[in-house]
Amino acid sequence: MPGPIPNSHISGVFVIVFAILTKISFWNNFYQFSDRLIYMKTKAFRTLKSVLYQVGEQAGFLGLVFKNSVKKGFEWNELAHQCYLIGYKSFPIVTLTGFVLGFVLTLQSEPSMKAFGAESLVPGMVAISAIREICPVIVALICAGKISSGIGAELGSMSVTEQIDAMEVSGASPVQYLVVTRISACILMVPLLTSLADAVALLGGYMGTTIAGGMSFPLYFRKAMSSLAFSDLVPAVIKTIFFGFVIGYVGCFKGYHSNRGTESVGRAANSAVVTASVWIIVIDAIAVQITNALYYN
Amino acid sequence: MNHKVIEIAGLKKTFDGKQILKNINFSVFENENLVLLGRSGEGKSVTIKCIIGLLEQDEGSVKIYGEEVLDMNQSRLKEMRTKTGFLFQGAALYDSMTVRENLAFPLTRVLKIRNRQDVEKRIIEALDAVGLSDAINKMPSDLSGGMRKRIGLARTIIVKPKIILFDEPTTGLDPISSREICDLIMEIKRKYRTSSIIITHDMECARITADRIIVIHEGECIAEGTFEELEKSTDPQIHPFFNWMGDP
Ligand SMILES: Nc1ncnc2c1ncn2[C@@H]1O[C@H](COP(=O)(O)OP(=O)(O)OP(=O)(O)O)[C@@H](O)[C@H]1O
Ligand SMILES: [Mg+2]
Repeated sequence: MPGPIPNSHISGVFVIVFAILTKISFWNNFYQFSDRLIYMKTKAFRTLKSVLYQVGEQAGFLGLVFKNSVKKGFEWNELAHQCYLIGYKSFPIVTLTGFVLGFVLTLQSEPSMKAFGAESLVPGMVAISAIREICPVIVALICAGKISSGIGAELGSMSVTEQIDAMEVSGASPVQYLVVTRISACILMVPLLTSLADAVALLGGYMGTTIAGGMSFPLYFRKAMSSLAFSDLVPAVIKTIFFGFVIGYVGCFKGYHSNRGTESVGRAANSAVVTASVWIIVIDAIAVQITNALYYN
Repeated sequence: MNHKVIEIAGLKKTFDGKQILKNINFSVFENENLVLLGRSGEGKSVTIKCIIGLLEQDEGSVKIYGEEVLDMNQSRLKEMRTKTGFLFQGAALYDSMTVRENLAFPLTRVLKIRNRQDVEKRIIEALDAVGLSDAINKMPSDLSGGMRKRIGLARTIIVKPKIILFDEPTTGLDPISSREICDLIMEIKRKYRTSSIIITHDMECARITADRIIVIHEGECIAEGTFEELEKSTDPQIHPFFNWMGDP
């Protein structure tokens, strides 16, 4: 006759049940975990694949651009036309921006400098900061918004309406005619526009000094110039050449590779501005490191 | 009429998982006008874009003068394209250029004609041929759809190509202009001994221009013959093209 189940048996059953339950949840967790791992892996692979694809696409396009830029039959007329559109048409906004930059910079720094009795250093400070950093970057960002998006939209709509295809099947090279000219024009015009902005910023700075306290123009000019060195100008100009390249290249790439359908034209213009702006900031950060390493260490 | 100019065999093309071209086979012979018929979206434009190398087929072969298009290097491809005219369905005029510049573009960029008078003479000739001499200084945006189409045609024929691929040359034109364009196509064929593929939905144009007609349906060529032969067909896919006015 069976007596009451001994305690040890009960605890034994508990142990087994517990073991089974934990085992199940362990394996469940394990499966979930491995699922997750596989998911993450496929996602990482997909991202990696798309990154590699994009890098390949960029490299291919860059190669095409270089090949076509040394090819016979450079489109000088189209280059001149693009310089006109890109440079001359951006003239007013760049002038205005440069002037206001110099003016505001002076008015902003004048009081604090005065507190140290160093207002005579203001022209030099404004000249250095405007020429080395502020004018190149601001002009480049303005050009990214104005030129890069314009190129993106223009080439995008040409691509959507099969004009680029038409050029290609006619036996002409659309990259040579459309892309190389636009990038070259940007490389030429962005440094020029920046120089213009530099000059006007000094003028604006002078206006600011006139309001704040007054200094004769020759004196102001001499002070500004004496604080500037060759090592301020050269890296700044080299930097703007790269800015110009990025502005033209990104606009062309986005426009040239826009998809079918009209909405992709807007997208091309939009992403041209964003991408170009990011690149400008990145290049600026790299440039400052290089300049510092070369000149001031 | 025995030499094969274009030869297409087993052409297949898939877009986004949808097979548009399943098995296209046909040839175009020298000095022949081949008309492609087919419902909208059957892949007629895709087919001729594969011929000129704008699209790459998934499978199959496209040969021009016996040479595989996919195997051509850049300079060969360019040479082939110089000899081949292509009229886009949407005309594809360069909209930042005037009509004159549009027509001058292939002359100066591709044929490298430097003499301005020669260029001007050919532009006027081509515009005369499509009946639009007075549009020479207009921008494409100032032209009507039909006019743009005709300028596109002028730009295609101005380089005097040996092969011409017409994507709906008469769509959007009034019957009189349509008739003139068809006559022009025939005249070009006679004068320059061209070989052409003409995609059209305009049966009158097909009747005038076709030496041979091919009907594409669901990605395959389902019929081939002269206009008169196909007109008699009772096949439900072919019959409606020729008797679209309704049965007697
Ligand atoms: N580049 C492309 N990417 C994706 N799909 C495409 C592309 N080109 C064409 N297609 C698709 O292929 C199909 C055939 O297009 P196609 O333009 O060749 O038609 P079609 O026979 O010329 O018609 P229609 O007589 O209306 O001009 C369409 O469904 C279209 O959406
Ligand atoms: Mg079509």
